[in-house]
Amino acid sequence: MGKPNREPALFDEDKIEDEEMSDLNEEVSESESEPEPELDSEEDEDGDVKLAEPSKKAVYNREGLEEKLQDISWPEDVGWIHKLSIDINQEQEVDVNDDLKREASFYTQALEGTRLAFEKLQSMGLPFLRPADYYAEMVKTDVHMEKVKRRLLAEQKEIEEAEERKKAREAKKLSKEIQAQKTKERAKQKKEDIESVKKWRKQRQQSGFAGDVNDGDLSLAFEDGKSFERSNKRRPGVAPGDRSGGKARQSGGKFKKGMDKKRKGKEFKNSKFGFGGRKGMKKQNTADTTDAVGGFNKGGVAGNKKRKR
Amino acid sequence: MGKKRKHSETNAVEPTKKDDNTIEERPKRTLLGWKDKPEVKETDAPGVFRNKEKVLVTCSRRINFRYRHLMLNVVSLLPHCKKDNKVESKSSKGATLNELVELKSCSSCLFFECRKHKDLYLWMAKSPNGPSVKFLVNAVHTMEELKLTGNHLKGSRPLLTFSANFDNNAHWKLIKEMIVQIFGTPKEHRKSKPYYDHVFAFSIVDDHVWFRNYQITVPHNESDKVARGGLDKMTLVEVGPRFCLNPIKIFGGSFGGPTLYENPFYVSPNQIRALEKRQKAGKYAKKVKAKTRRKMHQLANPLEPDEYADMWKE
Repeated sequence: MGKPNREPALFDEDKIEDEEMSDLNEEVSESESEPEPELDSEEDEDGDVKLAEPSKKAVYNREGLEEKLQDISWPEDVGWIHKLSIDINQEQEVDVNDDLKREASFYTQALEGTRLAFEKLQSMGLPFLRPADYYAEMVKTDVHMEKVKRRLLAEQKEIEEAEERKKAREAKKLSKEIQAQKTKERAKQKKEDIESVKKWRKQRQQSGFAGDVNDGDLSLAFEDGKSFERSNKRRPGVAPGDRSGGKARQSGGKFKKGMDKKRKGKEFKNSKFGFGGRKGMKKQNTADTTDAVGGFNKGGVAGNKKRKR
Repeated sequence: MGKKRKHSETNAVEPTKKDDNTIEERPKRTLLGWKDKPEVKETDAPGVFRNKEKVLVTCSRRINFRYRHLMLNVVSLLPHCKKDNKVESKSSKGATLNELVELKSCSSCLFFECRKHKDLYLWMAKSPNGPSVKFLVNAVHTMEELKLTGNHLKGSRPLLTFSANFDNNAHWKLIKEMIVQIFGTPKEHRKSKPYYDHVFAFSIVDDHVWFRNYQITVPHNESDKVARGGLDKMTLVEVGPRFCLNPIKIFGGSFGGPTLYENPFYVSPNQIRALEKRQKAGKYAKKVKAKTRRKMHQLANPLEPDEYADMWKE
């Protein structure tokens, strides 16, 4: 739980030493070619001391050590309960620079020791862990433990949040895909519809217009140029005679937004009720006004139909 | 108050022991030293052994805050210790420390010596005439770090676990014995608590002693039912502190005496730093040297005159 990532900082020292070792060796090899004997010979020794061979001068007085051990050690028949020490056999050598493995080995050593000790204490009939209602001073204060707890919670929260973000991101991606598929489907649907309509029309054409009169007119309507006449329909917000369909003003009005807003209502009213700018255009006759016989409707033009409603 | 009680105890115990010894032993106060332990063993073999270990814990002046905190953590872990004022880290510190230990009637000493505000040395000494070990301390983490989430009773006796390679060599054996005596809380110490809820792990990896402190936990509401199958549910949570001890030397006396052991692989941090520095210095020197060499080379074999040099000048 986050223990390992703390370690690297710790072991910088060791690594540095290692680096130094290699550097040392380099220096040594260089020194052979370079004429600086006193300095480099010294370094030579250091490198050897640190690395492979132990220095020759080092003292190792085995008898003295053993004697001292005899001196300080407790009598042999001292009960285990006085020492509470347990030896644990490590299965294999641990690599020092592998933080995770090293810590794991310490942990297992402690855990095994605890189990053995627990069995021993159990056989002696001594209490092991404190009962739940035994309150006493702890090594770390409550304030500190509160901090630890808060940190743990914060960590957990952070993890959760990160997970949520990840999930959201994935969901977004998925929804995008779905959306793309949908639009594709829709396009396909539309195409199919159009296709079917075309098919149907072709069929009708082939079968020779068995339908009603309106249909015939519809197809005719495109042929006699009527579609190009100006529609009488006025659009709200667009002044008559404005060819851009009100868009020109919008783009122009970008610079003075405040005024635009105020005017909107008025313009709308104008477009609806009158005062639509110059009257000149309106009063002039056009082709259709001359043709128009008051209120007489020629045929089923689409625009007129709508007007009826 | 504690002192009084101790007196009464000793008085109570002594009559049962041999009487002729007591008069001699009282003024010396070296009873605590284990030098004359064999005698004690002979006298009261039926198991009246009493561990009266007391540890003096101090540090040098101008110690780093981090190392000071480490020392305080150790103090909080050892209920049988006495903390004392900082000691000047001079060459004569051994004598003063010995005096101090005697004054405080302690039997061993942990002395945290900080040099140059960055290197921490730990002296572990048995006081009257026992051996002393000097360690270089590496990889220090204090208990205050928030990543170490465990907690345990203050003063409960720690279980001490050692890796098996402590028994391989004489010097490791000696160090182990010292650790057992110094870090183990005496049984029925008046400040100790009758439960076992933490465990120290001492392990030798890469010729260093690594120290860890774990809290023993079992799942909720089962602490009283550990007996039944709680054994495999037992888990450990690290409490801290952490440190790594690199033994440098073992001396015969306390803070001095003949050297019994010397770590053959040891390079002092000073030397390491010096090397580093020298290397950096060497870089520039090399550059200069290369330059001069180049110059000499150019002077030694000049270019032949170019026959086409004036070709375009005419």
